[in-house]
Formats: sequence, structure tokens, C-alpha cells
Amino acid sequence: MMSVQDAPRGPPPLPSLPPLPPLPPLPPLPPLPPLLPLPSALEERASRVFGDLRRQRREIVTPEGVPVTVQIADYGERLAAFSIDFAIWTLLSLLIYLPVFLIIFRTGGSLIAISIALFIGFIVRNLYFIYFELAWQGSTPGKRVIGLRVIDRRGGPLLPSAVIARNLTREVEMFIPLGILLEGGRSVGGGVDWSQLSTAVWLLFFAALPAINRDRMRGGDLIAGTMVIALPRLALSSDLVERAMQFTFTPQQLKAYGAFELQVLEELLRRPPSAETTQVLDEVCDKICRKIGWTDSLPRREVTAFLRDFYTAERAYLEREQLFGKTRADKYAKPAAPP
Amino acid sequence: MTQADLIDEARIAGPGVSASGAKPELVLKSSEFRKGREEGWRELENLVQRVERRGVRSLTLDELQQLPMLYRAALSSLSVARTIALDRNLLLYLENLALRAYLVVYGPRVGAFEGLRAFFVYDLPAAVRAARWHILIVTIALLLGVAAGFLLTVQDEAWMTALVPADLAGGRGPSVTAAELRSKELFAPWPGAAEAFGIFANVLFSHNTLVGLLSFGLGLAAGIPTLLLTLYQGLTLGAFLALHYNRGLAVDFLGWISIHGTSELGALILLSAGGLVIADKILFPGRYSRVENLALHGRQAAMMGVGGVLMLFVAGVLEGGFRQLVQSTPLRFAIGLGIGALWLIYYSRCGRREPK
Repeated sequence: MMSVQDAPRGPPPLPSLPPLPPLPPLPPLPPLPPLLPLPSALEERASRVFGDLRRQRREIVTPEGVPVTVQIADYGERLAAFSIDFAIWTLLSLLIYLPVFLIIFRTGGSLIAISIALFIGFIVRNLYFIYFELAWQGSTPGKRVIGLRVIDRRGGPLLPSAVIARNLTREVEMFIPLGILLEGGRSVGGGVDWSQLSTAVWLLFFAALPAINRDRMRGGDLIAGTMVIALPRLALSSDLVERAMQFTFTPQQLKAYGAFELQVLEELLRRPPSAETTQVLDEVCDKICRKIGWTDSLPRREVTAFLRDFYTAERAYLEREQLFGKTRADKYAKPAAPP
Repeated sequence: MTQADLIDEARIAGPGVSASGAKPELVLKSSEFRKGREEGWRELENLVQRVERRGVRSLTLDELQQLPMLYRAALSSLSVARTIALDRNLLLYLENLALRAYLVVYGPRVGAFEGLRAFFVYDLPAAVRAARWHILIVTIALLLGVAAGFLLTVQDEAWMTALVPADLAGGRGPSVTAAELRSKELFAPWPGAAEAFGIFANVLFSHNTLVGLLSFGLGLAAGIPTLLLTLYQGLTLGAFLALHYNRGLAVDFLGWISIHGTSELGALILLSAGGLVIADKILFPGRYSRVENLALHGRQAAMMGVGGVLMLFVAGVLEGGFRQLVQSTPLRFAIGLGIGALWLIYYSRCGRREPK
């Protein structure tokens, strides 16, 4: 025991270090290079020109870390989808009700009828939505016809608990205004009918809920962390790039435009041929020729070939510049400075 | 990378080449990129389309194994295309394809019935357990209400008319006698199947259900109305208890009400606690925005709401079917407390061993 006590405990105390000299001030950080515009922002702008951008957009990030743009479903689309679902499950419930009603007519009890009908209605409509949203990857027959999907708002997998929560909340959303309506109808009194007033406020609130948030979520979506998106199918068209070019352009000429103009040109070139398209292309061709100072003669029948060549050359030029970090959003942006 | 992959400035400019008559050839990185990968995209599109039309079961085992790989490849193509390509159609197509494939790959993986089973065995009890403090607060509020209602009404039965609305009291005011309570309420004969179901339907839309759902929904209004409503429910119950206590029927009343009351009060507590969870998440969002936080934790509240509605259903069946069928007070206590214990065991024990 003594030896243990006598032994030095731990290492001897270190000699105190001299104070550190103050650090020299850090040199100012170089300014960050300008951020590349998001491709989706670019696409959005081009879409706006052609007026095919109806829906609001949001970005979700997949578990792999890639941001993907989703289009939020319109009110009309959701209403249409719900109406279809409503019609289907009313029919379904009616089919189940029929034998019940037959029994009731035999026995002549109306209270049983109402309660059984209510119960079956409850079970059928909840199972209907939950079953289809789980089995069909977040869509019900109505949503499928319209082309809508339920997704997780943060980009994660759509969990069964979220599906169940969002559909059973519909019950609460409908129950509360409905219950108050029933209660309010019962009370008969003079003066201001406060219950009716609050009913109106409640109903307004729940009806307005999708309208007062950006993602058009109803109460169930809000609670379950889901949102409803529109999912159109897009096809991949052929590449517009020409391998063999008739016309050649100088880098000086290609500097006239940016990515936005390129995508507008692409959109025009992809239009189905018609008299109107030809006319638009002619006008565009004239404008481009003026802008880049094209002096050679250009017969009308070669307009399309010229534009496709110009598109190819411009895209090659801009894509290469982009690879070097010199993105040019549109013709108003400053051209990349020569090194 | 061969030399041909690089875009040669001379080839773009190339007036000399053009003058010599030979057509200049231009190779775009984005075009070559597309050529190399297009087949994989088309394959993925085909698979995704089949899943969208006929479900995941329409894929063979090989295709099923291929799907996530093709999906990852398409995602990586999308990332690359965003940096090297300016082809709008290609970018939009890839984004759309990636999104559709993502929804297939990360869609719900369980069937509806498996999902429901997992929900009731694991998710629901776990959500209720996670809210034990909210449940405690609500229970205290309810008990406070009962105590206050009882103390007020015991000394002056005029409070009964003040605390309980006339349609809920159903003639059970200060003037009621013990014999009336005994024959018309506590030990009234069973009215028969039709009436019992009528009561069941009534309960579904009754005052208590409405109050429960209101307490839940009013959680959105910072939880104060939720607590007030719970307190008020307690007051009503306390007033009824005092009315029976003054006529020496307290034990019989408790037995009469326990048969469905354990389920109904449990439902009320659960729904109000769910409302409090919502209020909690909105009032104290922590590091998230309020809506984000609600989305993150709202599922828990919704599950508690589901649990509450479930208990209300059971309470409705008990109230309509069993309450007047069982005429002995000890038996009523046994049924009521037994069912209450079952609820307690379900919420506190179920699905504990196998965390999801």
C-alpha cells in the first residue's frame, strides 16, 4: 500500500509554455466565382417564352443527392382527380350497400341502415385511398387518369404511415366542418348565430388551406409531409446536332448569343413543319443574320439548314465555354473575357 | 477521350476548310455523351412505363435487379448533362425520366395490408409512447376539470345547469330523483339491436367525438383551445358525478360510465394530446421552419388521431351494445377496466421488441 502511495501519480507537471505570438491577420479571401445558373432556371425561362409553363415548380433532392424539379399539381387537377375517386368509391359503397338495404327493407329498421351505411362508407373510402396510394406508388385511379402523384416533400421514400396519416386526416378535415354543421343546424336562437359563423370560418379555413401555402398542401399533406405533383411523360426527340455542316461561323459570330437564345432556337426547330413555322423561322433567320453580320446570300429553301448549322455551331461553342466555366445565360450577359 | 472528342476552334471557325469544298465535321461532347447512354435511358423508360401501367409485379427478376442500376445511371447522366449539355429537350427528358424512376424505386414497398399491419403493430403504439408527456398534461387537465366540476356541483347543483348544456343533460338536472336515475339511466333495459346501433351511429357523430376531433384540430391554434376543451369535458363529467354522488349512486354511475368511458376518455386524451403535439411542433420548431417541423413530426400527431378515432369506434360499440346489456355494476367495472387495461397494454407494450 505504501509503495503505491509513494509512487508518483501520473506524469510530472509540464513546464508552462511561452505564450503564442498573435496570428497574422488572414489575407482576404478571393471573391467567389459567379454561380452557374441552375439548369432548371434556364429551362424555366425558355418554357415561359413558349407559355408551356403552367405549374409551380419545386426542387426535391433524391437520396442520391441529385436535385430534381417537380411540378406542383393545380387546384383544378386535384379537384378533378378527387371527383373521379369520389365517383368510384360512391359506386363501390353503393354496391356494398345494396344487400344491406335489401335486409333493411325486409326488417324495416332505419337506424341500423344509417349506422351500417356510415360505417361501410368510412371503411370503404379510407381503405380505397390507402390501398391505391400504397399499391400504385402514390396514385389512385383518379390521380392516375389526371397524371398526379403523391410524393414525400423532402424527397425521401413515401412511407405507409405517411399515406395512412394523410388519408385519415381527410376524415378529420371533413369530420370537423361536417360535425359543426350538424351541431349548428340544431341550435335555434335569436341574434348572431355564433356557431354558424364559426362553421363558416372553419370551412373557409380548410377550403383555403391549399390556397394559402406555396405547395398547395391540404391539412393531410401538411401533417404527413407529402405533396401532390403532376407527372407528365416527356419523350426524347432526336438530337438536332448536324454532323456535316454546310455553313461555318466564326467565334466572333457565335459570341452574339447565350444559352437562353439557343434553347429558344431549339424549341423553334423542333416545331412540326407548317406554313406558320416556316414564316417564324424565316424571321428568326433574318434577325440572326443581321445580328451576326452574315453577308453571304441565303436562299429561302436553305433557311432550315442554315439555322440547324447555326444551332450546332452555337451549341458547340457555348457548351465548350461552359466546360471552361464561362457560362453565358443570354445575349445580354457579358461575353466571356478572352484569357 | 480521343482527339476527335475535343472541339477544335478551327473546325468551328474553319473558313479555309469550307472554301476547299470539304464539309467541316463537328463533334459535340454532349452529342457523343447522349449516343453512348441513350440505350440505357430507353430501357429504363420502358421498365418505368411498365411499372406505372401494371405495377412492380409485371417485371421479371432480372428486370427488377436492373431497375435501380439503370436509375442510378440515369441520375448520373442527368448530373453530367446539366454541366455539359445545353440541349433543352434532353435535359427535360432526363429530369422527367429520373423523377419517374425515382418514384418507382423509392415508392412504397409494402402492400396495403402489410402497411396497415405494420402501422397498427409498430407505428401507432410507438407514436403514442413518444407523446407520453403530452398525454400526461392532457390527463392532468382532464382530472382538474373533473375535480372542479365535482366540487362545484356537490355543494350547489345549480352548477349542473351552468356546466352541462341542456341537450347533453337530457333532463338530468337538479330536480332528478335517485329512482329516476336508476330506472331511466343506469339500469335502463337494453333497447334492442336496432336502438343499440342507433346509439352507435349517434356516438360516431356525437358531442364527444366532435369535441375529440375539435381538440385535435385546434392544436393548430397553439394548443390553448385544446386544453380548455379538455378541461371543460372534465367539468361536465365531474358535474354528472356530483349529481349521482348526492343521490348515493356514485359507484353505480362510475360502473355505468366505465364500460365505454375508459375507451372514450382514452380517445379524448389521445386526440387532445395529438393536438398538443401539433401545437408543440408549431410553437417550438427548433432549428427548422414551423411548417418543416410540422411535416417532420406531424405524422406522429396524425397517428395519434387515428388511434383516437379507433378508440371512439370501440367506445361506440360498447356504449350501444354492451352498456345496457350488462346490468351488474361489478361486471361493468370488470369490462370497463379490463378494456382500459387492454388499451394501456396495447399502447405501452405493442411492437416494442421489434423496432422498425
